[in-house]
Amino acid sequence: MRIVIAEDQVLLREGLRRLFQDAGHDVIAAVADADRLRAAVSEHEPDLAVVDIRMPPTFKDEGIRAAGWIRDAHPDVGVLVLSQHVASAGAVRLVSQGGFGYLLKDRVFEVADFLEAAERVARGGSALDPQVVASMLGGATGSLDALTAREREVLSLMAEGLTNSAIARRLVLAERTVEGHVRSVLMKLQLPASDDAHRRVLAVITYLRAEHDHR
Amino acid sequence: MTPWVAAGLTIAGVAFAALLDVLAGAHAEEAWVGVAWGAAGLASSGVGLVLAVHRSSNPIGWLLLANGLVLTAHLVATPYADYAALEDPGALPGAEWAVLVHERAWPTLFICPTVIALVFPDGRLPTPRWRPVAIVAAVSFAALTVVSLLSAGRYSEQFGHVSSPLPELSEAVVGVPFAISGLGALAGLAAAAVALRTRMRRASLVERLQLKWLAFAALLVPAAVVVSMIESTITGGEGAVTVVATTLALTAIPVAVGIAVMRYRLYEIDRLINRTLVYVTLTAALAATFAAVSLTLGVAIGSGSTLPTAVGTLAVALVFGPMRSRAQSLVDRRFDRARYDGLRRIGRFLEDLRAGRAVPEATGEVLAEATGDPDLELFFWLPADEVHVDASSRVVVELPAAGRACTPVRRGGLLLATVVHDPTLGERPDLLESAIEAAGLAIEIARLRVEVRRRLADVEQSRARIVTAGYEERRRLERDLHDGAQQRLVSIGLALRHIQGRLPTPSREAQELDDTVAELGDAIEELRELARGVRPAGLDEGLAAALRELTSRSPLRVRLDATLERFDDRLETAAYFVASEALTNAAKHARASEVTVSAARRDGRLVMCIRDDGIGGAVPSERSGLTGMTDRVAALGGSLRVESTPGQGTLVTAELPCG
Repeated sequence: MRIVIAEDQVLLREGLRRLFQDAGHDVIAAVADADRLRAAVSEHEPDLAVVDIRMPPTFKDEGIRAAGWIRDAHPDVGVLVLSQHVASAGAVRLVSQGGFGYLLKDRVFEVADFLEAAERVARGGSALDPQVVASMLGGATGSLDALTAREREVLSLMAEGLTNSAIARRLVLAERTVEGHVRSVLMKLQLPASDDAHRRVLAVITYLRAEHDHR
Repeated sequence: MTPWVAAGLTIAGVAFAALLDVLAGAHAEEAWVGVAWGAAGLASSGVGLVLAVHRSSNPIGWLLLANGLVLTAHLVATPYADYAALEDPGALPGAEWAVLVHERAWPTLFICPTVIALVFPDGRLPTPRWRPVAIVAAVSFAALTVVSLLSAGRYSEQFGHVSSPLPELSEAVVGVPFAISGLGALAGLAAAAVALRTRMRRASLVERLQLKWLAFAALLVPAAVVVSMIESTITGGEGAVTVVATTLALTAIPVAVGIAVMRYRLYEIDRLINRTLVYVTLTAALAATFAAVSLTLGVAIGSGSTLPTAVGTLAVALVFGPMRSRAQSLVDRRFDRARYDGLRRIGRFLEDLRAGRAVPEATGEVLAEATGDPDLELFFWLPADEVHVDASSRVVVELPAAGRACTPVRRGGLLLATVVHDPTLGERPDLLESAIEAAGLAIEIARLRVEVRRRLADVEQSRARIVTAGYEERRRLERDLHDGAQQRLVSIGLALRHIQGRLPTPSREAQELDDTVAELGDAIEELRELARGVRPAGLDEGLAAALRELTSRSPLRVRLDATLERFDDRLETAAYFVASEALTNAAKHARASEVTVSAARRDGRLVMCIRDDGIGGAVPSERSGLTGMTDRVAALGGSLRVESTPGQGTLVTAELPCG
């Protein structure tokens, strides 16, 4: 993967660069603010942009706004936003469009999962932080109540953006079993079954977001 | 001749007359005439001197000086004639001239007063058309004087033996000219009175006051005559009282003329007339009271007892106070309508104030009505800030100056307020001063209220500043936690993972690094929780986003209905923490299962409601987080209510003004 990193803290920026390089990826630019990020993305058209949510000058939501810009200007570039905290409204909106990821920064500690999420996003998939998913499911009402505990687990992992095989690995289940749970979940939530894993995930996220906002 | 010489001559003349009086051994009953005339001459001359020096373009000063000389000439002539013709004949020269002046020069006495009356107060005739009238008057007086001096006839008895130094013309010759010039002189006197009347009718405010001074002084002459008559009725002769009254009356005229022409304390005349009328009325009423009481008792008890007098005196003492204020208000009503009405307006206002129908802050408007100056403004002085403020506590940096006058309002030497008014009002201090005095207490109360309100506003502002500073500090702290400590821990974790990547996979070191990184993850999670308590980062995305995040973490079932509108950061933060506290209480104490959270704009207020279905009966206590929230909401000008009826759940409502 060809990667551009935007992170204002030097230590973290270099840490991320090394993480991706150790995994054999190509970090073509590592910048410290949103303007340089835009320039680097325009110049290199990378597979993935890893973006810190808070950057100079205001340290509020520069990262999210830059991500939205990349989405519009370079739809083929995957964007993985890294955040210090769960502030989900803007992020979930973007995640539900695909080719986008939103993770807490300390997810990098689970190197394998993190790299897998990054690659998924670069391929046009999505990645939503487990904490965000948990908060969307927390206190859930209505049709979600009809799910079994296992089905909820599967739904959470689907919302995080995992494919069936990844879910099977994570839950240490046979892939066929997972497929059964997925069908059941989709049916109970009255979501259309789709062969495209990405589309299916997006449908789930959209559904959860609507449920969550509705509450 | 300079005015100083004229005045000097008059003084010398009066001194000489006094000396002659002593030498001539004047009769006691006539002494008062000399004193009164001397005083009149000196007053006329003194005022004339002042006017001739300070108002040299106005002939009235010179006319008064001339009048002083004429009076002095007559004053000297009488004792001179007495001494030279009777007491010690031949001792002094010109005895027959002195007798002539004494006996025949009386028309000269009228000349100066008549001319002064014609040209008072500006030194000019009322209109040019008056010129012939003035000429006729002057010629008539001159002719009358000449005819009077030349006419044959006998002197008064004591001077019967003295002959005139001038040729004496027979009655047949002087009869007709005497009659004509006499009529002319009378017409001149009448014209002078008409001139004053004409002026009075067309007069400006100032001129009217000038004329009032003259009229007031002129009225003292008949008053003195009345006093003199009363004295001679009671004591059987003219004594000290007559001397004082006549002297006062005769000196008052030139003094009044001087005040009028100099325009010095011109406006005092209204007060003077007012006081005079009050005391004359009061004196008459008290005398009547005394007479009625003592006579009635005297008839009842019989004469010879001192009781009627004592009781009469007591009655007078008792009725003095009330009668004085009655007389004052009667005179005010009749003669100073403006002041009377003004004071009544203030009186009504004070009553309304006591009854709660008016507020003290309206004092300025009432003063404007009472004084008839619609633009009058009242500014309160705040000594602590050393500024003036208006009734709505706004600071007035500079009092309006152009074309306006300022009158300070003091109480016990302390400045309370300043009245800014029309300068013409300042020339009637009686009206303004009494209005201010009457409204004094209202002004003081209004000032205190304005000051208290201002202090309160200061305190409220500083409290709001403190709360805002607190919120900003929270934001800074939260950012430090997230962007500082937490990021540092993440990069350390990354570094550890990097090192781990170079270790042989199944090793003790790799396992220990795994544990350390897991600990780091826990630490980061704790930091994140801490930061959220300090200030939820979700607030950056708006109240609705922050509330959604908050409610999604609650263990209770929460219904959220929050407006997407953005508000001031302080309001959103306060509303968020109210919801946070209320949710915590609902989860911890209320045994609730469902909570409804709503945030909406209503009537210019951000209304935050949290209702649970718990046990209710919550009592706000010192330790309750909501008590602290009440203060913070109040600091932003809002209010927080907790309704918690046992068995009916708890409703927390915060209302924050949002413009």
